[in-house]
Amino acid sequence: MTEVNITIEDLANLVQGQATKVVKIAGQLDESNVDEKIQQVYKVVEENPKNLNLIFDLEGLEYMNSKSIGYLTDLYGKITEAGGKVVIAKARPNILDILQVVGLTQLIQAFDNLEAAKSAVATTKASA
Amino acid sequence: MPTTETNNITEPEKTRITITLPTNAYFMSGIRDFTLNMVKNTTSFEEKWAFRFQSVIDELCNNAIEYGSAPGSDIRITFLYAKDDYLEISIEDTGTGKNKINAAQLQKLFDDRKAPGYVFTGIRGRGLVKIVGEWSDELKFEDRTGGGLKITVKKFLKNARQNSTGINKENQILLNV
Repeated sequence: MTEVNITIEDLANLVQGQATKVVKIAGQLDESNVDEKIQQVYKVVEENPKNLNLIFDLEGLEYMNSKSIGYLTDLYGKITEAGGKVVIAKARPNILDILQVVGLTQLIQAFDNLEAAKSAVATTKASA
Repeated sequence: MPTTETNNITEPEKTRITITLPTNAYFMSGIRDFTLNMVKNTTSFEEKWAFRFQSVIDELCNNAIEYGSAPGSDIRITFLYAKDDYLEISIEDTGTGKNKINAAQLQKLFDDRKAPGYVFTGIRGRGLVKIVGEWSDELKFEDRTGGGLKITVKKFLKNARQNSTGINKENQILLNV
């Protein structure tokens, strides 16, 4: 199995009364590992059925395949439908390239740094 | 520079590399590393295309693992680089997979998904059209004589330099909610 690490960090109080998590993905998400590893993120969604905000920190992500993008699209749909928000931070150029070619950057905002991603989540929620 | 000249037509120098691997996604990490380094170090394609070819090969091999070759059989990858002209990549499976599909069926599936207005649903199905299709100039599906499929993609260097964005503004994503 290709190596990938997913860690989930709680950002308490970024948005009052709502759960906000930073999902850090490092390594390579491919056919050999994505079905198993992505369940960590689905578990967070199950535990926070409403108004969950996820910031995907992709600084350490070296590779993702089309199935990984399918999961990201599915998570985006589930979370936004339940009143939450999903953004991407610090993706490498090759990751942004593949997200663009499948059209995902039309749905999910991508930011160069984590602070901008946090601000986007907080601002949108505050004005909603 | 080694070239072959016939009737005043200069043929570019060609390099062919063939890799045979067992039908197992475990090996794809090494194939991706090889592809990245090979394209970066031995072709004139810019780095962005090294990453793109990495994805193209990964998607095609995953397709072969899923549909074409049973566990225990092989997948063959062939790189053909015509110096300063094009890179051609072929993926061949054995046709022993439990979900095997023929060239005409795969072409139809590709054409259906490429049609304007097609919306992608679910986790899978984007790789062939959105990655392989978008990042290649030619894509050919063939039935192999001995069984199985051969998929060949070709990218010309001049096109890679001219249009390097590869962004399809017609993309549509339908969410499963």
